[in-house]
Amino acid sequence: MSSPTDTQDTHTDAAAALALHGTRRQRFMRGARLGIPILLGYAPVGMAFGILARQGGFSTFEATVCSATAIAGAGQFIALSVLGSGAGAASALVATAVVNLRYLLFSTTLAPHVHSARPKTLAWLGFTLTDETFAVNVADLRQGTATLASMSGVGAIAWTGWVGGTFLGAAGSALIGDPARFGVGFAMPAMFSALFVALAEDRRHIVVGVVAGALCLLLPLAPALGLPELAGSWYVVISAIVAASVASAVWRDE
Amino acid sequence: MSETTATAIWTVIIGMALTNFALRYLPLAVLSRVKLPAPFLRWLSFVPISVMGALVASEVLRPGGSWTPPLGNPGIAASALTMAVFALTRSFLGATLAGMASFVALSAFM
Repeated sequence: MSSPTDTQDTHTDAAAALALHGTRRQRFMRGARLGIPILLGYAPVGMAFGILARQGGFSTFEATVCSATAIAGAGQFIALSVLGSGAGAASALVATAVVNLRYLLFSTTLAPHVHSARPKTLAWLGFTLTDETFAVNVADLRQGTATLASMSGVGAIAWTGWVGGTFLGAAGSALIGDPARFGVGFAMPAMFSALFVALAEDRRHIVVGVVAGALCLLLPLAPALGLPELAGSWYVVISAIVAASVASAVWRDE
Repeated sequence: MSETTATAIWTVIIGMALTNFALRYLPLAVLSRVKLPAPFLRWLSFVPISVMGALVASEVLRPGGSWTPPLGNPGIAASALTMAVFALTRSFLGATLAGMASFVALSAFM
């Protein structure tokens, strides 16, 4: 084993040693605790999905099953709105698949770190891969404290928040009203902001992140320059790919 | 809102479950078994921060998919405050809650 990704094993500090050498259960629970902010962010947004799904003709059971099997925040909201607009199931599926193409990128990024996983663990890590679990696990991997068990725990707590929130929202949709007044709409942007800082290792990373953000804001202007208009979900994927490509071309010594 | 049939709902539920799992699982399953070349790994090392930069920009400055004038957008200050709280405390939970609370408070003034 001499790939550059394994060098982190050589300089583990005391906290890392603790995180790495507990029992499987302790490592799983450490991941679950690490994922509590995800739970807090997902539960209210899941509730919002549950409420909207009921308004869109889903039963509480259907809304809950949808969240439990898809765990795709934006993808699910888009599927609902496409269905609600009268377009058929096929259009809804295409729309949600396009939005979720970014998972290919996340999954590819995680792949080198999970080569020792058993098939069941690998399937669970894939199943629970979202923007948030990805970012939390990558930040944890960078610190050298992530294990397969802790990543499974992060996924479990995120799944619980999303599915539990959906059920509560769908079942209590008549009682809850508009969840926006609790600042729920800002849970995800706030989490992304914190994760941005967590992932910014050095000045290079900050530069790359800012460039990607700027690109993402410029891409919607493409039609004004005579370029084809893109679906909004492509902005994040394209700007991330471009920014990472430029960075890896400029900084070759890492 | 037009009526959505149970067939359409279940087609979407099952189709979404299958496509999502395929997108998330296949690269993990295939690429974790092979040794990836160093330039590709270097490229991957810049992907997470790029994705997060793009997500923050689009979620904060284009909430709901459309550009919001910065002066009337409480999300900008709330996002900056969230970043500051995280940088000081390294707590995702504290930073997320601080961001949500400041967003509610700032929205009341804007």
